[in-house]
Amino acid sequence: MRVLVVEDELRLREELATRLRQEGFVVDQAADGEEGQYLGREYPIDVGVVDLGLPKLSGIDLIRQLRSEGKAFPILILTARDRWQDKVEGLEAGGDDYLVKPFHMEELLARLKALMRRSAGWTQSELIFGALHIDIGTQQVIVDDKSIELTAYEYRVLEYLVLRAGQVVSKSELTEHIYDQDFDRDSNVIEVFIGRLRRKLDPEGRLNVIETLRGRGYRFALTPTSESRNA
Amino acid sequence: MPLSLNTRVLIAASAVLFSFFGLAEITLERIYHDSIEQDMEERMFGHVYALISAAEMGEDGRLIMDKELPDTRFYDPESGLYGQVSSNDGEWLWQSESMRGMSIPFTEGLPRLALDGRQVTLPDGHRLYLFSYGVVWSDSPEPGQDYTFSVAQDMTEFDARIAAFRGSLWGTLGGVALLLLAVQWGILRWGLLPLKHAADELRAIEEGAQTRLKGRYPLELQTLTSNINGLLSHQREHLERYRRTLGDLAHSLKTPLAILQSAAENRDGKEELPSVVLEQVERMNQLTGYQLQRAATSGWTVLSAPIAVQAVVEKVLAGLHKVYADKGVKTHTDLQPGLEFAGDEGDLMEVIGNLTDNAFKWCRGQVHVQACSKAGPRNGEMDLFIHVEDDGPGIPSEMVRYVMQRGRRADSDIAGHGIGLSIVRDIVQLYGGTLEIGESELGGAAVHVWLPAGPKG
Repeated sequence: MRVLVVEDELRLREELATRLRQEGFVVDQAADGEEGQYLGREYPIDVGVVDLGLPKLSGIDLIRQLRSEGKAFPILILTARDRWQDKVEGLEAGGDDYLVKPFHMEELLARLKALMRRSAGWTQSELIFGALHIDIGTQQVIVDDKSIELTAYEYRVLEYLVLRAGQVVSKSELTEHIYDQDFDRDSNVIEVFIGRLRRKLDPEGRLNVIETLRGRGYRFALTPTSESRNA
Repeated sequence: MPLSLNTRVLIAASAVLFSFFGLAEITLERIYHDSIEQDMEERMFGHVYALISAAEMGEDGRLIMDKELPDTRFYDPESGLYGQVSSNDGEWLWQSESMRGMSIPFTEGLPRLALDGRQVTLPDGHRLYLFSYGVVWSDSPEPGQDYTFSVAQDMTEFDARIAAFRGSLWGTLGGVALLLLAVQWGILRWGLLPLKHAADELRAIEEGAQTRLKGRYPLELQTLTSNINGLLSHQREHLERYRRTLGDLAHSLKTPLAILQSAAENRDGKEELPSVVLEQVERMNQLTGYQLQRAATSGWTVLSAPIAVQAVVEKVLAGLHKVYADKGVKTHTDLQPGLEFAGDEGDLMEVIGNLTDNAFKWCRGQVHVQACSKAGPRNGEMDLFIHVEDDGPGIPSEMVRYVMQRGRRADSDIAGHGIGLSIVRDIVQLYGGTLEIGESELGGAAVHVWLPAGPKG
């Protein structure tokens, strides 16, 4: 998952980036509104964290700009101002949630994950596909009541595909959302991850979790059970 | 810089005054001129009659002028009064002795009863008024023998009278005009005195000598002065609140700072330090948040448009639906259309935002919001009534007691969930409104707020 962090305070930005990387995010950082606008325009961002008090282009204007350019990825507003007037202004401009500084990093991560899940149409943090349960909050994967151990990259690939369940995801799209830009795109490492995921989730080959569409990419093929999905 | 009010009124009034007096002068002079001209004509007629009565028909059928004339000026040379009688056939002529050596272009040959009066200027510069009258002598042996009786009067006296009149007229009218201007200047000073007074008072306020406009002002200025006083007291209250809040904030931060200091100095409890720091940071965060809210509260606004309540509620609810999208909260709103609030938009949003946020946070799925104009519980006046309820677990009674406690020290610890309600209570108090916390028929909390429609007094 690719997250855009726009925050002018260096220390906070670095800490956010470090923590988000630990959580398996690909992080694009911007120190001011204009840089944020550039990154938001040029990269396939999945979710944004935008501080409101930014140099050059204010957070509110940045969000308005991105929305007017058709960028629909969810945005979490960070603000030191917690008057309702400020909150409502941010949400009206196109923000999806807000977090008042100072905040707990865990809270921010939970909100970001909830935003991504929501934008994929899920209302609960546990996604259920028959025997397969994936909890986006705790990053736990369970098949037939047994917890599956996945590496960080394996989990990222799975999460990305699951949040786009039913859609075809190309290899290059997966690469962009899972690796930083300096990654060598020609390598076959994605294929390796997909193979390992298939073996771990479905050793007997009866679930057919991930389909390969030759020349086009991959598709998470299970349909959700329960009413956990509303869109 | 635009002309001062004084100058404007003076210029306009002077123009009006001078054109009025100019016209009056011309008219009066005209009237006077006509009246003395008429007077002169009458006197000339008198002289003509005197000439007629002095004339007598002689044996030869010619007039004889041998009777003494009553006005001796007819006999003095160049006396200014001259007479001439001539027969219309041009054969007979009498001229007064005063006319000796002079040539006056009298009108001759006038028919019976014809009058002729005109002014002439002689070659030597004298102006004369000529008056002639045609007469038929009834006892003349030759019937139809007509004569023209003429009198000429020097106009020096006439001109002198006109000049004297003009002089005194100008003097009088000019004097009156100047007097009126002076009076008007005085009236203006007197009329504008309240403005000058207000300016002096404002200067005194600027210098800190007084805090509000105290003087009694005329009706036209009262709106202005009461608005200025409103702004001043609003600003003062603001300042006062900032000072108080700043003091409260500084004091309330001392306790957590003291805890941090002693934790850092305590060598035995090193492993506890991070948790102590986090705990106190959280506490300080809440304190600063709360005090900032208090400082940002604006109170009654002066000179600003009222706020549409419906729009504020709808904006806040739209935001909350976004934030609590997962919960799929069903809101039911009952908002009186056109409802307005005379205070600050931020404050109203704060009240509605905190109440509805709590409702969204704690509800199981339903939130009701009502806003209308309703009689307040305390004074019975029509207040802005806001009602928010949910189907959650309700607000614990100790929290309600805690929030509603009066005179609670502002630096005492604030419990996390109570902060929103505490802010609402502070704002409602500032506006002189009422806050009630109860139970909803939906099963959860019901919060009622009454905000007065406008500032008292």
